[in-house]
Amino acid sequence: MSFKEFQNQSRLYVIGALEPEEVEEFEKARRKFGKKAEDYIGECYGLHEAFALSLRPAKASGAIKERLMAMVRVRKEA
Amino acid sequence: MGRSKVISSTSRKPRKRTRLTESRAPAVSVAPQLEPGAPSDLELMKAIQAEDADALSQLYDRYNGILKALILRVIHNEAEAEDLLQEIFMEIWNQSKNFSSQKGKPLGWMVTLARRRAIDGLRKKQAYARAEERLQNETEQQPDAWAHNATEEEIVLSDTRDLIRKVIVGLPPAQQQAIDLAFFQGMSQREIAAKTNTPLGTVKTRLELGLKKIYDGLKELRGEL
Repeated sequence: MSFKEFQNQSRLYVIGALEPEEVEEFEKARRKFGKKAEDYIGECYGLHEAFALSLRPAKASGAIKERLMAMVRVRKEA
Repeated sequence: MGRSKVISSTSRKPRKRTRLTESRAPAVSVAPQLEPGAPSDLELMKAIQAEDADALSQLYDRYNGILKALILRVIHNEAEAEDLLQEIFMEIWNQSKNFSSQKGKPLGWMVTLARRRAIDGLRKKQAYARAEERLQNETEQQPDAWAHNATEEEIVLSDTRDLIRKVIVGLPPAQQQAIDLAFFQGMSQREIAAKTNTPLGTVKTRLELGLKKIYDGLKELRGEL
């Protein structure tokens, strides 16, 4: 697999769209390309952020935050 | 790190060309703009790692809307989305030490975590079938969820979101649909092929082309923000 092909596969990999047989091949290439591969995969995870930011925010109710912070206080005191 | 440090931290100036300061910032990361003087996401994450509950509160205020929208897009159920949102922020608190700025941005880490939890929840629950039915209905009414949202005049979009959406809605509908099903529904290429009655090779090509265009588009966007 060339690095260009690896880049294509990386974008599919980060959204979980590689088929099992492709993952095996992808992992081989990942080891072959080493740090360059890890850096590129890291960059591709920025797609997650972008997809989330593309949605209209849906504000949660105030009760959720109250429950969350109460749980955090309990956890800290434990 | 205490509360005062988080509150007093300075950060990016809004509405200017910004250059991300981390050496390994993700190339396609397009972070939302912050108010002047607001702590950066990274500063909040570091404070959370030091068990500063106020930092979690600030991070929640900043991103609960984005994460809930993501969860809703996956599970299509308001009450379940809120419960899951709470669980996810609790996981952010509990797992904060696993976050490393060397591997990416806090928002990217949170979105990845939220997406995984939402898709896991979707698969586990018996509500999967119901959600699928709702999705089907929504898909029939709004063939293109991204494009539909973009035309809602009553929604005032932030510049960042607007720009990202422009990149996405610029894709052919078939590519948008393939990416939507893969990212928001966690479907494999085979599942997408079956659902859309499309040859597997065509699905793969649509995903590859669409993701490359979005990736390249986001890299260009970073220069505009």
